[in-house]
Amino acid sequence: MSDVSLAFAQTRYALRGFLRDPSALGFTALFPVLLLLLFSAIFTGATRFGDAHVPARTYYTASIIAYEIMLVSFASLVVRVTTNRERGLLKRFRGTPMPSWVYLFSEIARTLVVVVVTVLVLLSVGAGFYHVRLSANLVVGLVTYTAAGVFCFSALALALTRLSPTADSASAFGPLAATILAFLSGVFIPVAIMPAWMLDLGKVFPLEHMARGLQVAFLVAGSTGVTWTDIGVMVAWGVFGLVAAITTFRWEPLANGSR
Amino acid sequence: MASAVGPGTGGLDDAWSRTIVGVMDRVVSVENLHKSYGERERLHGISFEVRSGEILGFLGTNGAGKTTTIEILEGYRPYNAGTVSVLGVDPAKATRAWRNRIGLVLQECELDPAYTVAETVTMFARYFDRATDVATTIHAVGLSDKSNDRVGQLSGGQKRRLDVAVGLVGDPEILFLDEPTTGLDPIARREMWTMIEALRDAGKTIFLTTHYMDEAEHLADRIIILRDGAIAAQGTADELSAALGYRATIRFDAYPGFSTGELAGVIGRPVVVSDVVARFESNDVQRDLEVLLGWAREASVTLANLQAIQPSLDDVFVTLAGEAARNELEVEA
Repeated sequence: MSDVSLAFAQTRYALRGFLRDPSALGFTALFPVLLLLLFSAIFTGATRFGDAHVPARTYYTASIIAYEIMLVSFASLVVRVTTNRERGLLKRFRGTPMPSWVYLFSEIARTLVVVVVTVLVLLSVGAGFYHVRLSANLVVGLVTYTAAGVFCFSALALALTRLSPTADSASAFGPLAATILAFLSGVFIPVAIMPAWMLDLGKVFPLEHMARGLQVAFLVAGSTGVTWTDIGVMVAWGVFGLVAAITTFRWEPLANGSR
Repeated sequence: MASAVGPGTGGLDDAWSRTIVGVMDRVVSVENLHKSYGERERLHGISFEVRSGEILGFLGTNGAGKTTTIEILEGYRPYNAGTVSVLGVDPAKATRAWRNRIGLVLQECELDPAYTVAETVTMFARYFDRATDVATTIHAVGLSDKSNDRVGQLSGGQKRRLDVAVGLVGDPEILFLDEPTTGLDPIARREMWTMIEALRDAGKTIFLTTHYMDEAEHLADRIIILRDGAIAAQGTADELSAALGYRATIRFDAYPGFSTGELAGVIGRPVVVSDVVARFESNDVQRDLEVLLGWAREASVTLANLQAIQPSLDDVFVTLAGEAARNELEVEA
């Protein structure tokens, strides 16, 4: 079996394992749809976006899609990799002839598949109920930000596994970071009513750029929402995460000191 | 490697054949291995070998350095000094080809509970160039009827046997078993033993660490006892008992007025009394008992609770590993 087919076989295993994990499934697939339904039930009118007034529900469709990309690529991935490391599975894999990249590829490819499927679900809800108009520009923006988002947040997740000694700490920190970033980035609260300083702080982090880009793609006719600045910030964070992950990644459990 | 040719061996041909047999025969060869963690040295220059087709029992209490040693052999840990060769390769420079030839059962590894037994073994089989048949491997560890059960539903002993299946599926030339029965109940432990015996009968070379002497005695062809990062003794179970000079003890209840000096003169070795029990060591139980009984008859005394006690290998281990270790084992048991 070639390494490439091994990598895809390993990805299928990762997906199967993920689908059999009810808590991971609920957290990454059900929860965001629920969030979108709740926000759209609360904010029924229009919100100011730049100079225009736009439907709040469309705004939330774009925002929750950005949130979902981060949730799967970052919060869920960091929990899964840390769990496997804590179980001793990463160490076990390391002791087989399987190349290390195959395992990491399988987890990221698994992440990408879950992101694509769940984003399509959210997009369908938006198109069906929340005034989302599908267009070529929207598709270009969505594909670009999905790719940049999975790269950026997966790299950061792998880097973060070094700082989360146990699966428990990862399960606490991942969602906490996701929630705080979501507030800072105008995901949960429309930018129109957010204090300026908070938005400025949010701009330091990649979620703000992904959320803003997707909001433009969904809300401004004739725009893909893709800007060099937004993509640049996300890629920069991704490269930082990748370098940190490559230099600090650990295959052996961190908490249980080995004898 | 060259050490197989000792000084003063016969002709060149003789030396050659001995070297070749020696090298072929040796699956693992460790010479003067040192390992430190920071300032603290953990292994103080140990040397041993594992021969093809044998089970080597690597015995020690927790903290003796068993896991450090096995993880060096498995290629997980660097070492500070010495020579280590596993299948002719230095594990510190492990290659993929080498990983194809070794099998691992780690001390702590929880396989993903979401997969079935068959899925787990199939997944690992894909990593190896010469994997054995999945169903055959599952059968070998006695899990055939659990093939389609999720790992999460298995008992502790079954999980541990699945660990072994995953270590075996690549058809390794040597299998490393790191404390395969620690934490198992007595029945699961027996099942694991039976399985390891079957592997031995099939000719597998196995490096087994354990902190149970009875396990090493039962399964291993040769035993190495590790204490504080040094080899305290090695050999077969019989050799260990004999070489360490462990003698039987003859004991009886000391009666009022018993004199150690008088009996010691008759027996010809020291007699001690502690807690109202008189005892002395014996190389020849039959002869010493005859002497003792003759002496007792002449003195007209009754020797209450007279016993001749043969030492078990467990006693050997406990003596070697120290009293502190014994307490630890009892706590764990």
